[in-house]
Amino acid sequence: MLEVQDLRKRFGDKVALDGVGFAVQPGEMFGFVGANGAGKTTTMRIVMGVLDADSGEVRLDGAPLTYDARRRFGYMPEERGLYQKMKVAEQVEYFGRLHGLGRAAARDAAGELIERLGLAERRDDAVEALSLGNQQRVQLAVALVHSPAVLVLDEPFSGLDPIAVDALAEVLKDRCSSGVPVVFSSHQLELVEQLCDSVGIIAGGRMVAVGAVDELRDTEGRTLLKLVVRGAAPGWADGLSGEVTTDGDRQVLLVESGDDQEILRSAMRAGEVEHFGRQRPTLAEIFREAVA
Amino acid sequence: MNGLWLVADREIRTRIRTKGFLISLALSALLVVALAFVPKLLGGQDAYEVAAVGTVPVAAEDVKYTNYPSEAEARKAVADGKADAALIDDQKVVSEGELDQRLGLLLESAHREGKIKASGLVITPLQVETGATAQYQSVRTGIATLLVMVLFFLLIYSSMYVAMGVVEEKGSRIVEILLAAVRPWQLLGGKIVGLGLLGLLNLAVVIGGGLIAASATGLAADFPPGMSGIVISTVVWFVLGYAFFSALAAAFGSLVSRQEEVNSVLTPMTMLMTLTYLVAYFAAVEPEGTLARILSVVPPFSSMVMPVRTAAADVSIAEIVLSAGLMVVAVVAVLFAGARVYNRAVVRTGARVKLTEVLR
Repeated sequence: MLEVQDLRKRFGDKVALDGVGFAVQPGEMFGFVGANGAGKTTTMRIVMGVLDADSGEVRLDGAPLTYDARRRFGYMPEERGLYQKMKVAEQVEYFGRLHGLGRAAARDAAGELIERLGLAERRDDAVEALSLGNQQRVQLAVALVHSPAVLVLDEPFSGLDPIAVDALAEVLKDRCSSGVPVVFSSHQLELVEQLCDSVGIIAGGRMVAVGAVDELRDTEGRTLLKLVVRGAAPGWADGLSGEVTTDGDRQVLLVESGDDQEILRSAMRAGEVEHFGRQRPTLAEIFREAVA
Repeated sequence: MNGLWLVADREIRTRIRTKGFLISLALSALLVVALAFVPKLLGGQDAYEVAAVGTVPVAAEDVKYTNYPSEAEARKAVADGKADAALIDDQKVVSEGELDQRLGLLLESAHREGKIKASGLVITPLQVETGATAQYQSVRTGIATLLVMVLFFLLIYSSMYVAMGVVEEKGSRIVEILLAAVRPWQLLGGKIVGLGLLGLLNLAVVIGGGLIAASATGLAADFPPGMSGIVISTVVWFVLGYAFFSALAAAFGSLVSRQEEVNSVLTPMTMLMTLTYLVAYFAAVEPEGTLARILSVVPPFSSMVMPVRTAAADVSIAEIVLSAGLMVVAVVAVLFAGARVYNRAVVRTGARVKLTEVLR
């Protein structure tokens, strides 16, 4: 289990992190979301040891994170970095060897990943000759080549086309299901909602919400009652506190509070009820509310 | 340690394949070989061709006489460039343009000798005896001057590549992934060792090329005794100088994030190297001067001045040991300080990092 505990970091007068903490279980995919400058990258850089925190701790399986444990992490920094003049396969292999793989093991692992990420035809091309999307795939291969025990990925999906997004998501799910904790940050909230078991929302250097996606949707934000009535006369909902929108001969009512049974009865009197239920907020809605 | 060798291995593989490296290797070898041939070319003609008419004078060293039947034909040979001068009846010298000074002296002395011999006097020429050192002085100065250029070129070139490599990794943020896999000293050490080995290879090519060319042209016969000592001292001092300047280059390089800033951030280092070069150049010409003697002990000047001095003159073992000892101390100090600056500055991307901020 990867635990981030009460991280604090200042840059001069600016407080970048003010008590950031979360935990990621083995086999759990954790989505880290927040506005630009909220502290996601700083947190990840501290987890990877690129930066030192002023206080707080990162622990792995209950023990403080050591250098050797960190060598088994896979990391994709926010600003992509590769040797532009080095060939794709050679580069992935090199990073495998730096992480401690033997020559043959590194070559095999690099070959397999390159195949899987659809780069087989470009394996002997210099990185600078690749499109940005393909360079990003190479970057991912570099992060994955040594079968990391923990994955920390800063914005891995940014700049990818939908097909590449799917390929990357598949690879991540695969690694995750083999028991690896995965942390990634993203602004694509639908994607986070779809992929992640749990999310953490950070704003102004503080965690404003952390938890399983389902739980957050139940507990955070406004849960609205949604009612769809067909053939109701206009004005049927005048007495109710809510918004009515008209969609053809259907009327949609969204109510935040009130006696739901009473509302249902008045709707049934007015017309034919097609839908009646609580509508949980989407992650995007929770995010907007939490960050506001 | 393994990480260090992996990094060094990559540096060597990447660099050795580039055109720039191969070209500079070929150029430096060519330059040295060409220099070995220069004395032969500058030595000029082995013998003068002189057209003689009538009385053939006494034989003179380096002068070859060819007999012509008439003065007119001898003059024509001179005009056509077949002969350097014409000697008419051992009385008159004719030349096209100004008479070569040495040829003039040779003819004059041969003429005089012939006349003296004819009068029955016998003169024993003066015998010249020179010291063992003085005998090789000009060759030693030549070797020393060549060494200054080679050392300066290789040191500045190799250190520059260390700085550029550091900036490449910092600027592209690869350093963040690298440091997740290897320690900073492995990354920095690997870079310095890898590029240093390439510098040594280049030095070996220069020395080897020079020696082979020298023995091919016969220049090697003029080499002073203890040539192998000069070669060994050059290699050792190159290693020390390179360790010093490359650590400096890495530290300065780690302060900036863009290649365009490399030159300006390295200015203090390149100025120090240029100063060392100038001092070493004077030391080659005047190896026993006070300036050369003092600076051949003071690091980092000693890295270039001392090998040049040992090539140009005999230096006492005590001085060499003192100088090497001080240089080793300086190298260790710079490596530690450089590693400290590098560790702290290399992940601080963006604006140029101030040296005072990271040294504290």
